[in-house]
Amino acid sequence: MVEVRLEGVSKRFGRVVAVDNVSIVFEDGRFTVLLGPSGSGKSTILYLVAGVYKPSSGRIFFGDRDVTNLPPKERNVGLVFQNYALYPHMTVYENIAFPLRLRGEDEAAIDRKVHEVARLLHIEELLDRRPGQLSGGQQQRVALARALVKEPDVLLLDEPLSNLDALLRLTIRGELKKLQQKLGITAIHVTHDQAEAMSMADKIVVIDRGRVQQEGPPLEVYERPRNLFVATFIGSPPANTLPATVEHRDGYPLIRVAGSLYRPGERHAAKIREAGLDRVVVAFRPEHARLAEHPPEGEDLAFEAEVYLVEPLGRENIVTLEAAGMPVKVVTPPEERPSGRLYVVVPRERVLLFEPETGLSLDHL
Amino acid sequence: MPGRPRPGPAFFFLLPALALILVFYVVPLILSVYIGFTPLRDWNLQRLGELSLDNYRRLYHLVLHDPDLRKVVQTTIVFTSVTLAVNVLGGLVLALAMFFMDEWLSLPYRLLWLLPRMTPVAVYSLLWYYFFLPGREGILNSWLMSLGLIDEPRAWGKDPELLPYSAWAILVLVNGFVGVSFGMIVFYSALKSIPREQVIAARIDGASTLQLARHVLIPQIRWHIVYVTVWQLLSLLTTFAHIFLLVEWGTLDRAWGSNWALYVFNTAFLTQDQGFAAAAATVLVAVGVVLGLLALRLMRFREMMVEPKGEL
Repeated sequence: MVEVRLEGVSKRFGRVVAVDNVSIVFEDGRFTVLLGPSGSGKSTILYLVAGVYKPSSGRIFFGDRDVTNLPPKERNVGLVFQNYALYPHMTVYENIAFPLRLRGEDEAAIDRKVHEVARLLHIEELLDRRPGQLSGGQQQRVALARALVKEPDVLLLDEPLSNLDALLRLTIRGELKKLQQKLGITAIHVTHDQAEAMSMADKIVVIDRGRVQQEGPPLEVYERPRNLFVATFIGSPPANTLPATVEHRDGYPLIRVAGSLYRPGERHAAKIREAGLDRVVVAFRPEHARLAEHPPEGEDLAFEAEVYLVEPLGRENIVTLEAAGMPVKVVTPPEERPSGRLYVVVPRERVLLFEPETGLSLDHL
Repeated sequence: MPGRPRPGPAFFFLLPALALILVFYVVPLILSVYIGFTPLRDWNLQRLGELSLDNYRRLYHLVLHDPDLRKVVQTTIVFTSVTLAVNVLGGLVLALAMFFMDEWLSLPYRLLWLLPRMTPVAVYSLLWYYFFLPGREGILNSWLMSLGLIDEPRAWGKDPELLPYSAWAILVLVNGFVGVSFGMIVFYSALKSIPREQVIAARIDGASTLQLARHVLIPQIRWHIVYVTVWQLLSLLTTFAHIFLLVEWGTLDRAWGSNWALYVFNTAFLTQDQGFAAAAATVLVAVGVVLGLLALRLMRFREMMVEPKGEL
């Protein structure tokens, strides 16, 4: 088990900068998720850790060991791919044994280890089959077994669940997390699925355009997004964002959003004054807002909106409204069937404010 | 209603191809087997009615006692087997080399190896004619002389001191340069269709390039290797265009430089002994069929065709 550290790592392919000066610590024995849209560079980071790519600049450490220029086989990592990458001409047994055979281990030890890992992943009865005779979920277990059988220091997972159907994905998600905890292995998991990231990660690292956008425990990333990208990428449905202007009344900044005035708290007000902002972006999560017939008392964010669509999901409804020409989504209890003109109310502590130019949260300015 | 489609429309669409195969393949095959039993000479068609096994008896006798035909038989065996090995193994080595190359390098490399195949047979043969020309002006001779390796120019394909090996080497070389690109292209595209992740996975597990090729890549293109081997075997048994030109132009010794297919051609159209040539051709076809089936058997073709028994 080992801590993996990237220090100022960049990777360029010709003119394209895939990874741009990234520094991340993957803690020893923890489950870290690299989360980002496709083409964000998250898989490239994984391959840099694996040693498939060499960084254009920067250093990579496994514990105290500088592995920047080491080939993959000297890093002792296990890698699981989205398409499993099993060798179709080998049986499941041979697939799992392959890394050990390459190391020249003796057959008795190989046999013991293969059966051990097969038991761990509940694939003992599949050992004589070929990958073509397995279902997707079974293939994924075999791929995981092949990665784990060599007792790697780091387990790398490149969208391993994306090819599975939704129900199976949920099952394997839980199993994978439990397995990682049981083995105490350092795991780096790449995904574009924010729900998967939220549910599995000890730490989430959000990547976009080759840069780290935010890192932290899932809840922190969810509740206190560092910038607009993180706010709108994580969450289903994602956070609502509304452009707003700043008006000063008696020296205190008020925010005009969707026709209504909102009085931000002292901390935000200070930031607005400090940065001399005349525009901000107001954001809030759909489940943090509620719908009301009348404007509420007090200083919560409230604005008028027209119900456009109600999607009943059983456990909740997703209500889409239109406020000053912009769509707003609100999650409501399933028994509520809102219609007509209503007020969208967001408690003050749930209102997120962002600087429109950089997209940075005012809390992080 | 499920069921077999009516044969009418299928037959209609198959008709043109069937007609072509019938006229240019089946009918000539039957004719040539038939002619093999007749004493047809100098296209004297009146003797087409006299059927006998004389041609086969004569062929058997000549194979046992005619020194020239014995040379042709040896040349055919050596040329076919060595060129086959060169074409298949060489194609495999080239394809693997290109698989591990960057694309900007592999494309021109592939084109280079395809050049001999794109060159018309006569032009390509002419290049080799000049290369092995017996006089001082021959390219090989002039190279070797300027390097001081030989004092006098040599007739590479005819010099009794060098025969038969020099003639065989030239045959393999000339045909190998053309043939190797076929396997190369087939193997390369097959390798390219193997998911890249398998290569990465093997690398991460510590496979060297050699181990990667042996355990991951080559087993997955076995089917293609079987196909290329059988295809090349059959086409090498019947090829004679390059060989004909090089023998006619005097680059190669007539006996040590001829294969069975060329012997058939020369017997039919030079010595005008069509009945005998047809018998020799029939023997060649029979040998081709037997060798082809044997190759498929040896390479366990049937085993590869077994349907996977899987659950969905």
